[in-house]
Order: sequence, then C-alpha cells, then structure tokens
Amino acid sequence: MKSSPDASKGIKLTAEVAKMMKFQRFQDYFFHKITLFFASLVLVILAGILISLVINAWPALREFGPGFFFSTEWDVVGEKFGGLTAIYGTLITSILALIIAIPVSFGIAVFLTEICPNWLKRPLGTAVELLAAVPSIIYGMFGLFVFAPIFSSHIQPFLTDTVGQIPFLGVLFRGPANGIGLLCAALILAFMVIPFITSVMRDVFEIVPPVLKESAYGIGCTTWEVVTRIVLPYTRAGVVGGVMLGLGRALGETMAVTFVIGNAHRITPSFFAPGSSIASTLANEFGEAEPGLHYSSLFALGLTLFIITFIVLALAKWMLANMERAQGTKN
Amino acid sequence: MTQETTDLKNAIEVKNLDFYYGKFKGLKGINLNIAENKVTAFIGPSGCGKSTLLRTFNRMYDLYPGQKAVGEINLYGENILEEGRDLNLLRSKVGMVFQKPTPFPMTIYDNIAFGVKLYERLNKSEMDERVEWALNKAALWGEVKDKLGQSGLSLSGGQQQRLCIARGVAVKPSVLLLDEPTSALDPISTGKVEELVNELKNDYTIAIVTHNMQQAARVSDFTAFMYLGELMEFNSTSQIFLKPNRKETEDYITGRFG
Amino acid sequence: MNTSIYKSRKRKNTIGLFFSVFAMGLGMFVLLWILFVLLSKGFAAFDLNFFMQSTPAAGSEGGGMANAIVGSLMMVVSCTLISTPVGVLAGIFLAEYGDRSKIAGVTRFVTDIMLSAPSIVIGLFVYAIVVAQVKHFSGWAGTIALSLLAVPVILKTTENMLRLVPSTLREAAYALGTPKWKVSLSIILRAAKSGVITGVLLAVARVSGETAPLLFTALNNQFFSADMSKPMSNLPVVIYQFALSPYENWVNLAWGGALLITLTVLGLNILARVFFREKS
Repeated sequence: MKSSPDASKGIKLTAEVAKMMKFQRFQDYFFHKITLFFASLVLVILAGILISLVINAWPALREFGPGFFFSTEWDVVGEKFGGLTAIYGTLITSILALIIAIPVSFGIAVFLTEICPNWLKRPLGTAVELLAAVPSIIYGMFGLFVFAPIFSSHIQPFLTDTVGQIPFLGVLFRGPANGIGLLCAALILAFMVIPFITSVMRDVFEIVPPVLKESAYGIGCTTWEVVTRIVLPYTRAGVVGGVMLGLGRALGETMAVTFVIGNAHRITPSFFAPGSSIASTLANEFGEAEPGLHYSSLFALGLTLFIITFIVLALAKWMLANMERAQGTKN
Repeated sequence: MTQETTDLKNAIEVKNLDFYYGKFKGLKGINLNIAENKVTAFIGPSGCGKSTLLRTFNRMYDLYPGQKAVGEINLYGENILEEGRDLNLLRSKVGMVFQKPTPFPMTIYDNIAFGVKLYERLNKSEMDERVEWALNKAALWGEVKDKLGQSGLSLSGGQQQRLCIARGVAVKPSVLLLDEPTSALDPISTGKVEELVNELKNDYTIAIVTHNMQQAARVSDFTAFMYLGELMEFNSTSQIFLKPNRKETEDYITGRFG
Repeated sequence: MNTSIYKSRKRKNTIGLFFSVFAMGLGMFVLLWILFVLLSKGFAAFDLNFFMQSTPAAGSEGGGMANAIVGSLMMVVSCTLISTPVGVLAGIFLAEYGDRSKIAGVTRFVTDIMLSAPSIVIGLFVYAIVVAQVKHFSGWAGTIALSLLAVPVILKTTENMLRLVPSTLREAAYALGTPKWKVSLSIILRAAKSGVITGVLLAVARVSGETAPLLFTALNNQFFSADMSKPMSNLPVVIYQFALSPYENWVNLAWGGALLITLTVLGLNILARVFFREKS
C-alpha cells in the first residue's frame, strides 16, 4: 500500500502538500477570472450597442428633436426625415399579427394537449417546432411570390365586400387590392409568430399537474372549460411571457416583412395600403445611405426599435414577476 | 453523558457547536467525540440535525451562502472551523458518501482514479493497483474487473453506491462520513454495504447517519441520539439500545415517536 | 338538472374544440403549403451548376450559388468557433458563481435582452464599429454580427443545462476535495455535455438563416472569394437580392438557396433533438 502524500492523519500541511494547495488556489482564481471576463463581455457589448446607436443617431435627433417621432416626412434629397411612418408600420403589423396569432396559437396548443391522439402528439408537436425554426426569409419569399397574389385576387376583394362595408372600421379594410401592404405583412408575420407562441403555450400547458385537470373533469367540466378556467389561469404567467416574446420577435422582424410591406413612406388609413416598418426601411435604405442626416436618421430608427423591444421585454419580465408573486401568495 | 471514549483516541472532537441556516439555529451546543477506528452512528427523527452535524465535519455547508457553523471541531487537534482553512485539503482527509449514489459521468476506472489524481502522482501500474485495491475494499472488484472501461452509470444502484464508497476510500482519508448510505438501496445491497462498514472501520474512522435504528444497532460501536438540533444522549451502542439514560431516547428507540 | 345551461356549456365546448381543430388544420395547411412551394421551386433549381458555379452577373444566363454556399459556411463555422467558448464559459460563470455575484443577475437580464434584440440592429452596431472604421465590408464583420446573435443562445442553454445537474453530484465532487474549477469542468460540464452541445447546435441553426445582420456587414460578393477580410458572398443576402430582382434565373437561384438554407436549419434542429434524446 502506497502511503499518501500527507503521512499524518490530520490536516497539518507538509511542504509538498502546501505547494499543491497553493497551485490549486491559483487555478481556482484564474478560472473565476476567466469565466467572469466572458460573462462581463456580454454586458460590455450591450452597453456598446446602446452607445454606438446613440452616437450615430445623435445628429438626426439633434436636428429634428422630439418631432422626429411624429413626422411622416421622408425626403432623402431635401434631408428632412421623420420616423412616424416606420414606427406606425412596425407597431401596426406586429399588433395585427399578434391579434391573429394569439387565438390561433391557443387553438393549436389546446389541440396538441387535449384533443390530439397520443400517437400523433410527437410528430405534430415536432412539426410545429420545426416551423418555428424556419428562417424568416423563407416566409418573406413565400409571402411575395405565393401568398400576396392570392391575397390580392381572393382575400382582399372578400374583405372589402364584408368587413370593408362596416361604417367607420370598414375604411381599414378597403382600397386597391394590390396584395402587398400592411395587412399582408401582418399575416405573414402571424404565420411566423404562430409556431413560436404555440410552442411556448404547449410547453406551459403540459406542466400543469394532471391532478388539477382531473379534479376539474371529475366535477363534470367540459374540456373547453378545463382549458379556459383551470389550465389557462394556472399557466397565465408563462402564456403572457410567451406572447410578449412573440411580440418582441414580430417587432424586430426584417425579412418576412420587407418582402411584402410595400415600402411606401406614407401613412394611409387603409390596412391594404403599402407602408414601411423600421426594419424594412433599414434593410432597403441603409446600404445606400451617405453619412449625413439620412444615415443618422436610420440609426435613430434603429435606436427606437431597440428601445421599443427593450421596453416590451422589460414589461414582460415585470408582469411575469408580478403574476408569479400573486400566484405564490394565493397558494 | 457517559463517554466510554475516554481511553480511546479521538479522531474528531466537537466543542460547543452551533449551526445556523440563516437565522434558524439547526444545531445547539453539540459536544461529542468521534473515536478513531470505530463506527459512530447518529440517529433521530427527521429534522433532528443529524445530517447537518455530519456535514459540518467536511464543511460541505460552505457551498451554500447563509449557512454557518460556530464553535470548534478538532480533527486530530486542528480546528477545521478556523478562518482560512483549506477546504479541499480537509475534504480529501474526510470523505463522504451520500444517500443517493453519485457516480461521476465517466468510466468506472476513472471514477476511482479521479480523486487519487488530485493529490498524488501515480504511474499507470500504480494507479491500476490503487483502483483494484479500492474496488476490493468496497467488495466490488469481482463484479466489475472486466468492465472497468464502462460508464459508472451502467451499474446497478447497489453497485453504484459501492463504487462511491470505493471512490471515497481510494484517496485514503482518515474519516469516512456516510449520510444514510443504504436508504436508497434494496435489502441485499444494504446487507453488503453494512458488511463493508464493519471491515472498513479497521482502517478508517466512520460516522454514519441512519434513520434505520436496527442498522445503527447492527453496525455501530457508539450511537448518538439527536432531537430538535440537540444531542440528547451519546453512549456505546449497547448502552443506548439496552439501557438508555433519557426518556426521549427510550421513547424513540421503542418507536413511541418517529 | 338545468338542461338549458348544460346545453349551452356543451355548445361552447363544441365550438371551442372545433375552433382548436380548425386552428391546427390551418397551421398544418400553411406549413404544408410553404414546404410544398419551397420544395418544388427549390428542387427545380438544384443541379450541378447550382453547387459548382458562382453567382451570375445581372442579366447573364445560368450560374449557381457556389460562392454564396462557401461564404455562408465559412462565416457560420467561424461564428461557432468564436461564440461557443464565450457562451459556454460565460454560462459556467452564471451557473457556478451566479448565486454569490451581483454581476450574474445583471448578465442574465442583459442576455435576455440580446436574445430578443432585433437582428438588424445588431447589424447596424457591427457596421458602426467595424465596417465604418475600416471602411469596407468583410466576412469577419459578418462573423462578428452572427456571433453576437449566437452567444446569448449558447450562454442561456449552457447555464440552464448546468443548473439541471443534481446538487448531490456537485457535492460528491467537492467531498473528494476537488478544486472548484475541476468540479465545474470535469464533472458538471461533463454531466451536462449533451445539453450544452444541443444548445450550440440550436444556436448554429438559428444563425445560419439570418439575413439582416449580414446585410451591412458581409454585404455580398459577386465572385468566388474565400477571403474573410473582404465582402463575402452568403446565401441569405444573395437570396434577398435575387428574389426581388426582375431576372428569372436569379429568382430561380433564390428559391434554390432558400431550400438549401431551410434543409440545413431543419437538419441541424433534428440533429440536436436526436442527439439530446439519445444521450440523456
């Protein structure tokens, strides 16, 4: 039997062991510093993004002031810019997309968790997740070449004849049936966001304890009642979180939107009209922008988008924290 | 509290030990001695502090901010609660086996070699010897000698636990702490592990926490009965089980409360 | 029993469930429609030339996507090589030291922001600090932009996977007297290996399909070039350009490129899934 390096049974340090200990301590110190460095790198990068955006946006912000956010002018030659068109486009397409996506995602999630036969659950669930992974440029191409023509020849006339006839609201759904435009972009965005929100909803629905659902079924609740009155309130926090994340993605989406939004710099009442979003404006114009007010205004738009997304995310986290706290006290 | 340990050498001496989980006092004024090369068992109902006490002996609680120990714990004369103690060195001298078997995600051979490599430089044949020796000590060698290259996770629960014991023994500690080592095992594996404990005490000091009183009676030389963070009674095992001094001890042993 | 209440509840249930089935059907319909279009138009463009020839000039016939394929490959691989160590080490920091460090909480929050940050804004940022400084576009700038997108994904999955490792395993390693760095790398990271690799695969999948961050960084290159310090051709940007153009062969090539990207992304996702399931 070989004797251990420390002959005594206790923890007195011999010179040899002391040296080993010192080296170990150094290794631990080094490891801590390296991992800390890389973690801090992430912080530095975010700070860098903000600073760089602000610096480059500053000339435009200084020139146009807060009015920048309320003006729809976009005159490249005359060097007068306003972000309202792009901001409006971003918000409208995202909100419309969510209005469509949330109920559809909910329906699919309910199907996958309550109605779907077991043998079908995995393939369909995987199909949904794979859809969520499809790059957005595919949706853009699909939108432009396949969906927009059908939208213009069938769906738009249909909408004009039905919803478009309602007084007041109807004006949103009337206009030349060009296919591409705000509504088309919103629909393509919805297609993109649905798999994402569905995945989140399905994941949270699945971790509801079966006993909870069983006790509801046990008193004679219908499936729909179990889902809306038990599952949904229980998973409220996760669902809201997922929806907000979906909103964040929709707001920042470039490719799916740029192909079909029409790229017009004006705001018209109708959703059929072409418009722009912040991301589409950047995609279309940044390549050719000369340093100057045009360049700077584009950065200002980028900064605005970043801040909007940041606010949505912070709001989501805050709401989540509140909901979880409320549930905690209820339990 | 009669201490029959007075004529034996003490591996560990605990003096006025308090333990805090945040503001909650988990251990109150513990005083006892763990005799060298003997098995000392800790029994008591859930929450009495026996695992807490065991985990102070290798300062495992240090991993969790908010937990702290106040008092003195002398391992062969050195107070391990002192500021600046090197914990890695301490833990290499005071080994621990947990309730749930925890084989490392590597081969059986590497599981044993891992700990040895930390503190010793052995060449291949020396390491092979050590691995065989450790597995023999844990009565596992026969069952795994042909599959040392397989993952430790491929063994059965009882085998995994014996692997963990082998791993703990391989680094030649002075003290072995066993925290409910058989509560997750079937009766046959439990029997094997208890046999092991009997043999291991010839070379190591053993402290074992168990919620199974019969096991304590079978396996240990000394028994400590704990209740609500205090040491109620400490004596030789035969005394505790045949002629306990305190009523609480007797009540627990006879099953009046659990 | 009040039959009219019961009837109305039953009706609501039927409508609700019907709606769910309809929603699922709609989802499947859209999925199949997109896949069908992609496969039919994309496969039509796949031939030997597609993979061997470089992108054709405006108006000229034929051509392929060879330079774009190579460019994308080079940038994605470089991105993986850079972002994996950064993401994994940062994730280790959050999992191993996170409970005692204030920086950890902030870093987690920032990572979530970066995860949701619009990728086009990342492109703007890299333009401002790299391209504008050296006054030309480059494959490296594109790689940096992609890495900024990949690191948060890898960081988050690494931390989550490490935290899933049971604390008893961690304690068993410490109980042997193992120094902290060895516990983290040789035991914990090893135990979480398959999960961490899955995270890397998913990050790579995500980054392979991104267009916006490359628009102003790597830009594009009509010719075949393996020089990362110059503008680099890549599939997403080429698809974007070609799809919106009036040339028929360009549009065809765009579909081919779109199919290729989709197959790659889906393939990586499936690989990640299978790998994770097998190892855990």
